[in-house]
Amino acid sequence: MKDINELNLPEDVKYTKDHEWAKADGDTVTIGINDYAQDQLGEIVFVEMPAVGDSFSAEDEFGSVESVKAVSEMYMPISGEIVAINEDLEDAPENVNEDCYQSGWIIKVKPSDLSEMDALMDKAAYLEMLKG
Amino acid sequence: MKTTPLHQWHLDAGANMADFGGYDMPLWYDTGVKNEHLAVLTSAGIFDTSHMACVTVEGPDAFSLLNFCFTRDLTPLAVGRCVYGAFLNEKGHCLDDAIVYKFSGTSFMVCVNAGMGGAISDHLNKHKKDRDVTITDLTDRIAKMDIQGIDSVRILSKLIQSPDTVFGKMPYFSFKGHFDPNHPEAGASKLKNGTPVLLSRSGYTGEFGFEIFIAPNAIVDLWKQVLAAGESFGITACGLGARDSLRAGAGLPLSHQDIGHFKFMNHPWDFALPYNSDKSGFTKDFLGAAALVPEKNDVYVFPFVGDSLRKVAAGENTGVFDENEQQIGHVLTCATDMGITWHEGKIVSINTPDLPDNIKIKGIACGFVMVSKHLEPGTKLMLKEGKRAISVTIVTDIRPDRTARKKITHFI
Repeated sequence: MKDINELNLPEDVKYTKDHEWAKADGDTVTIGINDYAQDQLGEIVFVEMPAVGDSFSAEDEFGSVESVKAVSEMYMPISGEIVAINEDLEDAPENVNEDCYQSGWIIKVKPSDLSEMDALMDKAAYLEMLKG
Repeated sequence: MKTTPLHQWHLDAGANMADFGGYDMPLWYDTGVKNEHLAVLTSAGIFDTSHMACVTVEGPDAFSLLNFCFTRDLTPLAVGRCVYGAFLNEKGHCLDDAIVYKFSGTSFMVCVNAGMGGAISDHLNKHKKDRDVTITDLTDRIAKMDIQGIDSVRILSKLIQSPDTVFGKMPYFSFKGHFDPNHPEAGASKLKNGTPVLLSRSGYTGEFGFEIFIAPNAIVDLWKQVLAAGESFGITACGLGARDSLRAGAGLPLSHQDIGHFKFMNHPWDFALPYNSDKSGFTKDFLGAAALVPEKNDVYVFPFVGDSLRKVAAGENTGVFDENEQQIGHVLTCATDMGITWHEGKIVSINTPDLPDNIKIKGIACGFVMVSKHLEPGTKLMLKEGKRAISVTIVTDIRPDRTARKKITHFI
């Protein structure tokens, strides 16, 4: 298990209390689970994703990740409509372990209110939360 | 939290640690649960099992006490053999499962689960009455590691004195040697450096292998020796994650989860009870036996396999639903056996002979359900936890072609 100091927590994404990350790019926001979450879960064997077109409110459950050892729900960092899902994860769920911020992204959302991003944690605040 | 002598090794290896039975134990290492699981099926894996406890039962009435308290009939148990069973209370509830080792007619050892050494010692003391027997809890006084998998005897042969003699005749559930250098049997199996070990041809993975009992101050060195001797075979250190998925796939219960405070009956572990040959009764009377008579409204435990490797979280909140969508119970264990897959309507494992070349072993969810009615093999059920639901089938066995019972000559 990674020590807190070993976690890969990029500066250019936002974090939730449930260990998702979110990154705005133009009018879409890309969402995944962060390095802490993938490390805790171990080898991910299945990612259950929503359908394109589904809409959710912030903090709604939008899917789950199943690892060899555990099953864990994922929650929306912001409100919005799903505009893309990472279909590669159907054949290669291990991408979430290998690179949770790039090839292991999970959904792209068209936010209903982009300012909700401001309520999410930056790296410093998230680290503070992990340290408890 | 308690630690084993290998604790620092686990930390240095970057293990993902968790509390198990009051001990800080490795769940998995960098290798990951999947590869650790597969290593046991295809080469060998080692497990730190020092958190388990041992109790010795010695004296003229040791046999009488154990045969009354243990579910298996120890009458036919020969010296140098061991047997799996359970300790029940008067209600027929399982206090713990255990392996009983017979050193002589008056000397036995009981190996129980983490944290249970004191409880089982107390239980035996409570029921010994005027029997002449000495019960000693050896918790934290013996260390233990398991080497499991098809290459385990080849690896151990590099480390043991006179391996031809030690392994020459060693059936399933037999043992040799002793962990105490002063014990008369200590000479029967020693490491090349002279350290005595108790080598037992058993383990809780369903695969061929050994449990090794040794003095706590010698286990770190042995662990490193085994890893070095097994390197060319691809030996892998395995955590409790792989142990859980392997034992679930082997159809073996986890104490206090699949067996515990519910009647030890109507379950797939008939082999732990002393049935006579036609199963019309037991071969002996024992503590808890009277409570085991089947009644109406009993609970039943069955093994299941899923349609794929997707699983649910086990526990009281995960419902078991029959074809009429009626909830009939809950899930005790749900793990993924990474070594099996569905093929032409049957489950095959990595060790199934003549597997087609193109087959991809993806893994299948498996485990145990506790339900309120008897179910036939082949019954389809849904396991539901929140929004997640998986379809499963009741079976009599899970991972085919397990190696535990094969003759040792097959592996030398």
